[in-house]
Amino acid sequence: MAAQVSGKPAESAREAVPVATVQTESARWSGDLVPTLVVVALLVLAIQVGSAFLPPYVMPQPLIILQATWEVLTADPIHIGITGLRLAAAVLFSMLVGVLLGIIMGVFPRLRPYLRSLVIIDTGIPALSWMLLAIFWFRDPEVRIFFILSVILIPFYALNVFDGIRALPREWVDMLESFRPRRWQVLRYLIAPHIVPYILTTTKAVIGYAIRMAIFAELVASAIGIGSRMSLAQSTFRIDKVLAWTLLLVILNLALQAAIASIDKALLKWRPEAAVR
Amino acid sequence: MSAAGNPVIELRDVRKAFGSNVVIERLDFDVGKGEIVALLGQTGSGKSTVLNIVMGTIPADAGSVRVAGSDPYRQFARLRGKLAVSFQTDRLLPWRTAVENAEIGLLVLGMPKAKARQVARTWLDRVKLTGAGDLYPHQLSGGMRQRVSLARALCVDPELVLLDESFSQLDHVTSQTLRADFASIAREFNKTCLFVTHRIDDAMEMADRVLVLRPGAGIALEEGIDASIRSSLQRRSALHDKIAAVMGAEA
Repeated sequence: MAAQVSGKPAESAREAVPVATVQTESARWSGDLVPTLVVVALLVLAIQVGSAFLPPYVMPQPLIILQATWEVLTADPIHIGITGLRLAAAVLFSMLVGVLLGIIMGVFPRLRPYLRSLVIIDTGIPALSWMLLAIFWFRDPEVRIFFILSVILIPFYALNVFDGIRALPREWVDMLESFRPRRWQVLRYLIAPHIVPYILTTTKAVIGYAIRMAIFAELVASAIGIGSRMSLAQSTFRIDKVLAWTLLLVILNLALQAAIASIDKALLKWRPEAAVR
Repeated sequence: MSAAGNPVIELRDVRKAFGSNVVIERLDFDVGKGEIVALLGQTGSGKSTVLNIVMGTIPADAGSVRVAGSDPYRQFARLRGKLAVSFQTDRLLPWRTAVENAEIGLLVLGMPKAKARQVARTWLDRVKLTGAGDLYPHQLSGGMRQRVSLARALCVDPELVLLDESFSQLDHVTSQTLRADFASIAREFNKTCLFVTHRIDDAMEMADRVLVLRPGAGIALEEGIDASIRSSLQRRSALHDKIAAVMGAEA
C-alpha cells in the first residue's frame, strides 16, 4: 500500500473554481417569509372587508374564524392527529411501493413495459372513481382511505423514480462497473443515492395534493378526521368552522413542506443551489 | 509486439467491427508486468475500442484477448480487484466527498468501511490532496477532481491501470504535473499501465513504450522510450516527429 507522504492540496490556489452565486434552502425560506406574511395580511384584510358587506353565514369576521380555530384545536385535536396519521401512513407506504416499482422498471427491462402500462393506466383513473370503488370494496373506513391515497400517490413515485434511473449518467455506471460490482452494489452505491432527490421532489410535489385527497376521502368514507369534521361543520351551517379547518390545513401543508425542506437540506447537502441572476 | 516476462495484457489477431465499419483488424500487442505502454492514435483510430475490449465492456469479434490471465469480457468477474480505470472525465459521484469517492472501489471489493476510509485517505495524501478529503466534487477544481479519480483507481491496488485520455481535458501545466505524479507513483508501485491518448507529448512523458494504432488494422509503429531519450532534446524531438509522421499518415 502507499507510503505515507506528506502532501499538500494540489493546485488549490491556482485551480480554485469560483463559487457560483449560491442560494441555500434556508435563505430561500427566510426570503419567502416576508412575501408570505404580506399575502396573509391582504387575505385577512379582504375577509374583514367582505364580512362588512356579507352576512356572517357567508363570510364571518377574521376574529370569529380565529375563535373557531381555537375551538376546533381544543375540542377536536384527535381529528387532526388521525388525519395526520392517515396521511403519514399512506405517503410512506406509497413512497415505498412507488420507489420499488420505479426501481424494478428501471432495472428490469423485461418487466418495464408491463409495469409502466399498469402505472399509466392507474394515473388515468380519476380520484373520484377510486373513492367510490373503495366504498364498494372495503367496509373498514381506514382501509378505504389508505387504499384511495395509495393508488393515487404510488404512480407519482414510480414514474419519477423510473425517470431518475433513466437519467443516471452512463459514465457513472461504467465507472462503477470497472470495479466489477455485484448487482446489489450498483443499487447501493449508485442507484439509491441518485434517486434520493427524485423521491424528495416527488414528496414535495404531492404533499399538498395528498392532503386534499385525504380530506376528500374522509369526507366520503369516514366518520372521523378533518374531512368528516368539515362535512359536519357544513351540515350544521358553521362556515366559521369550515374556514377554521381550512386554515389549519393550510398551516399543516406549510409545516409539512418545511419539514420536507429540512430533510432535503440534510440529505442533499452535497448539492449546490445555483441561482440565476 | 511483445513484452518481456509474463504479459498482463495479451492481444492476438484481434478484430472488431461495428456493422460494416471495421475498427480494429489484426491487432497484436502485449503489455508486460510493470510496463507503462501508451497507445497512440488519431481520433477514430480505434484506441477507445481497444480500451473497451481490454476493460471487458465489449467483446472482440475475433482473436484472443487475455488480461491478467482471463478473458475480460467472458470472465468479467474474474478481474474483480485486478483492474482499475482512470477515465477522460473524473466521473466522481457528486453526493460523495473526495475520500468517499476514492474508497468506492474498496467498498465494492468488500473491504470494511473504516479500513477503506483509511486506505483512501492515504492515497489522497499520495496524490497531493491532503486536507481535501472531506470536500464534495463541486468544491474541487478540475485538476483536484482528476487526482481523486486517480486515487480511486490506485486505491484498489490493481494489477493493471487503464488510463483513457485521463489528462487531456486539463490545462497544459496541470496535465503535465499530474502526468509526472502518476508516472512516479506507477513506477514506485510497479503498476502495469495501458495509457490511451492522442497527445504525443503525454505518451512520451509517461510511457516505456509507445504503440501507434493504424485505423482498421494493427500497430503501425512501436518505439521504446527511456530516460536517455527523454533527456535529449534532439532525440526526443526526432522521435516526436517520427510518431507524428506515422499518426499523420494514418489519419
